[in-house]
Amino acid sequence: MTQQVLNAIFIGSIYALFAVGYTLVFGVLDVLNLAHSAVFMLGAVITYSLVALHGMPFLPAAVIAVLVCGLLGLLIEFVALRPLRRRNAPPISALISTIGLALIFVAIVEQATPGTLFSWLWQDGANSVRFPAGTVPNPTYHIAGLTIEGTKLGILITSVVLMLVLGYVIRYTQVGRALRAVAENRRAATLLGINVDRVFASTLFLSSALGGLAGILFGLAISDISPYIGRDQVELKGLAVIVLGGMGSIPGAVVGGYLLGLIEVFALVRFGSNVEAGVAFAALFLVLVLRPQGLFGATLRERL
Amino acid sequence: MDFFVQLFTNPVGFYNQHELLIAQIGINAILAIAIFVTFYSGQLTLANAGFMAIGAYTTVIMSLYLPTPLPVNMLAGALLAGLVSVVVGLPVLRLRGVFLAIATIGFVEALRLGVILNVPITGEGQGLHNPTADPLGGIVPILISLPILAYLVWRLTKTRLGQAWSAIREDELAASSNGINVPLYKMIAFIISAVLAGYAGALETHINFFVDPTEYGITRTIQILTFAVVGGTTNVFGPIVGAVFLTALPEIVRQFAAYRDVVNGVILILVIIFRPQGIVGRGGLAIIRPRWWIRWRARERPAAAH
Amino acid sequence: MSALLQLTDVRRHFGGVHAVDGVSLEIEEGTIFGLIGPNGAGKTTLVNVVTGYIRTQGGSIRLTSPTGTAELARRPPHAIAGLGIGRTFQTLRLYRNLTAIENVLIGMHTRRRDDTLQQLLPLRPLMRLDDRRHDEARALLQTVGLNPDRHGDRRASTLSYGDQRRVEVARALALKPKLLILDEPAAGMNPAEKDRVRELIQKLNADGLTVLLIDHDMRLVMGVCQRIVVLNFGRKIADGPPATVSNDPAVVTAYLGSHAPESASHVPGSEEMDVAATSKPAAAAEPASPLLEVRDLEVAYGAIKAVRGVSFGVRQAEIVALIGANGAGKSTILNTLSGVLRPHAGIARFGDLDLTTAAPDKIVRAGLAQVPEGREILARLTVRENMELGAWARRDRAAAHRQIDDLMKQFPILGQRQNLPAGQLSGGEQQILAIARGLLAHPRLLLLDEPSLGLAPQMVDTVFEVIQRIHNEGVTILLVEQNALRALEIADRAYVVETGRILLSGTGMALRRNPEVQKAYLGG
Repeated sequence: MTQQVLNAIFIGSIYALFAVGYTLVFGVLDVLNLAHSAVFMLGAVITYSLVALHGMPFLPAAVIAVLVCGLLGLLIEFVALRPLRRRNAPPISALISTIGLALIFVAIVEQATPGTLFSWLWQDGANSVRFPAGTVPNPTYHIAGLTIEGTKLGILITSVVLMLVLGYVIRYTQVGRALRAVAENRRAATLLGINVDRVFASTLFLSSALGGLAGILFGLAISDISPYIGRDQVELKGLAVIVLGGMGSIPGAVVGGYLLGLIEVFALVRFGSNVEAGVAFAALFLVLVLRPQGLFGATLRERL
Repeated sequence: MDFFVQLFTNPVGFYNQHELLIAQIGINAILAIAIFVTFYSGQLTLANAGFMAIGAYTTVIMSLYLPTPLPVNMLAGALLAGLVSVVVGLPVLRLRGVFLAIATIGFVEALRLGVILNVPITGEGQGLHNPTADPLGGIVPILISLPILAYLVWRLTKTRLGQAWSAIREDELAASSNGINVPLYKMIAFIISAVLAGYAGALETHINFFVDPTEYGITRTIQILTFAVVGGTTNVFGPIVGAVFLTALPEIVRQFAAYRDVVNGVILILVIIFRPQGIVGRGGLAIIRPRWWIRWRARERPAAAH
Repeated sequence: MSALLQLTDVRRHFGGVHAVDGVSLEIEEGTIFGLIGPNGAGKTTLVNVVTGYIRTQGGSIRLTSPTGTAELARRPPHAIAGLGIGRTFQTLRLYRNLTAIENVLIGMHTRRRDDTLQQLLPLRPLMRLDDRRHDEARALLQTVGLNPDRHGDRRASTLSYGDQRRVEVARALALKPKLLILDEPAAGMNPAEKDRVRELIQKLNADGLTVLLIDHDMRLVMGVCQRIVVLNFGRKIADGPPATVSNDPAVVTAYLGSHAPESASHVPGSEEMDVAATSKPAAAAEPASPLLEVRDLEVAYGAIKAVRGVSFGVRQAEIVALIGANGAGKSTILNTLSGVLRPHAGIARFGDLDLTTAAPDKIVRAGLAQVPEGREILARLTVRENMELGAWARRDRAAAHRQIDDLMKQFPILGQRQNLPAGQLSGGEQQILAIARGLLAHPRLLLLDEPSLGLAPQMVDTVFEVIQRIHNEGVTILLVEQNALRALEIADRAYVVETGRILLSGTGMALRRNPEVQKAYLGG
């Protein structure tokens, strides 16, 4: 059981990291970015491609992938979000335009086989691959009867450190204050001289970079990289996480991530893998119906 | 191009060659009508894939275990979907906008992963073989149902009920000031939509030999949403046009068939940005002037004045 | 005559704000009843309580009709509409994408038998009811002064603003209401349009309809109402026929504001700055080389022209006030200067900067900051964080931090609460914070939008003292105020704005004595 809890914490870290980016965009822009899961997938795919197809060492590959994902965030902002803001479209439109981008991202990878347009990015079509053995050193520790893999430990540390840094930036720096100001009241922020569009673009960059990193860590930890990992593994679970924690709340997303990890492991141990698969959505549904502001009471803003 | 040439020069041959495509277009068009009803009442619900599953599974399970005739089974599937929609709708329809969309997605996945995969009678993850499947005969009820349903829903939008939906979609607050019971009419739309989706699910089992739980997930939901967005929801023909267009598109441009999701994604983005009212709908393209353009024009203006 | 609607001790508060604080009133059948009061007095809240959009927290609301008496409190809005109360909204709420006729047809909802099944089979004989309804809708459009042939089939959003207001009235009438509530039907209209609204209300009343009219425009209300109730800070401060109410000193104070204690010193040297005001609606001499120059500015929201050709200037070290009733276009002018709104036409220059095209952040950086109406402090951020963000546009972080510390000493209330969320401050404290935040941008010109709005009288004094003080320290100020007398007391020059135009201008002292100013607020 303790071993299972450890696993819950590892997977929870990835959920949390993914969800933090998801919820950041919702909190600041009031928009649900459904392309976030596709960026998550691309983070893993780009890293894999640089390592396995182009022979790059893991670390620089991961750094490049994270940056590329950040740029994809800018692409999302400029293509799918900003034009809609310009004509004051309802936030629901952004949901649809980001779905459109997600479709495109997934389909590009899914159709990439040797000899096609995107074969430099991906050659395995719809198949699932894993990083070549030895991409990252993976020592295994045995402590008090528990098995701890080095990569998983690294994942835990990486995500916790990143979330702490993000928390610090948002809480204590002028940029973080500006972010919160824009999230709370766009008009007031504008009148203070904050360039709201620039804040939005930075938010998308940051969020997508985090999402891409979560994808890389997922690829390492679960050894499963395919065009569908975003859509099938984290898109809806990420939604469940941010709903659990209260939409737009970053601490809520972190706690929600670990909570979902624990709930899933509990469901797996207690009821088996079929129940585990559905438990996130049951939680999502129940929380929205019973306590739409999230378990920790972030303010709910209902706007169409 | 061959597609259209054959359609007009040899319709019988076209029908024989594309029977399954035509059946699928019909099913998708009915699903599009289903999502239209909730859109028309101003609600972005994404629960239709779930109600489809209820319709499909009910029909097949009844065919497997009960002596009832197929039409009864199909009807039962649609009605059960309607019944479940009441239970789901009561708590969920209080939510709005993005929250409503998320909650209904949660319902779809919870139903698929939580219920269908865990109840033995549904075949769990294996799916079910449909004993009464009849791919060729199955087209007939689809092609009969589609125009009837389209007509009924089109007329419905003209009634007191349909006008109440319009009012709610345009402005809930104003609607209640006109004496419209907003929660009630939202619920009616949700139930009708569920029954239609359940019926479409039942019809679909008829042309497939197999009921596959993976068919009823978020991908399906998004596909149905795409029909409505691309076609437009000012009237019932928008989503139908959207369904026909998007279902037939990969057949029309075969060379892009592999990249159909790329094409769909591009179409979706272009429509939502430049033609938010959809293909069918009044008005022209939305004009979005980027900031640099406005600033550039402003710089031209004083220059011209001097 | 009997009371159609009777309110007894109706209460509603939001947090600590008593929006409606024990209001009782009676509306008699067949009358036009006026509900007035300054901005934020609780008029619209009261209407929303009566129509069920906001729950009451005490008191009763009774509607008496031939069929009996009904208690409205705790009923949902659609049920209240069903009992025969029709209403319009302060901000237009038409079904924008539907035609005018469709809007009116939906208004008939409660009177209309459910014909869903019959409509599914549209046989000619069965459609007669439908035709009759269409005819009725067209007749209703005619009643409110619209031509059904010209306007009936146009989408509501394409109609002119005045016509949209009419459609909204027609839609409310379609309910066949016992009581029609009009919430600021004349907001944003010019005098000629207002006259037509007045005629319409009188015509409807002549046909036997009871009307509850809410408006800021005293001239309209005084002209048509038989009885008027005045609200201020959620309480009834006067109740009676128009003549009595308009002479009530409490009402005059509520509208024009109170005089400051005479000790408040006038800015030295301001007397020689400008020519005396004339009582004619003519422009005062404009400053020669102004810091801010506005010429022929026109701003529109869609069909609504909020600012219709306004010209004025602000010189270095002046306080200039824009005064006028609510809805006159004052805030729109400030928001245009801040780059949040874009003008239709005209010139607005701040030094070398063209305010009509510059981005809002550039404008702040150039030294033009705004303290917006309603304060718009960031409630979830702490007091200190709000102030830190006030200095966002500045590069000199160290100086900014010194200034924050100075301001905290100057306004101890901010210093004491620097680590509390700003939302926990009282309204007056929030206003001080908002002004401090504005100062932190190091502005050459500070725009102050309704700094006294919704504040209790003592707090108003404090806020005006603060404004005077920062002005003495050399900040140029453009002040927008409803509290005209107070604003004129500290202003070097002022402009009276009415329906998007400048009506009068002159020195603050001269305008204070000008009877036209009182007329602009209270009506003739």
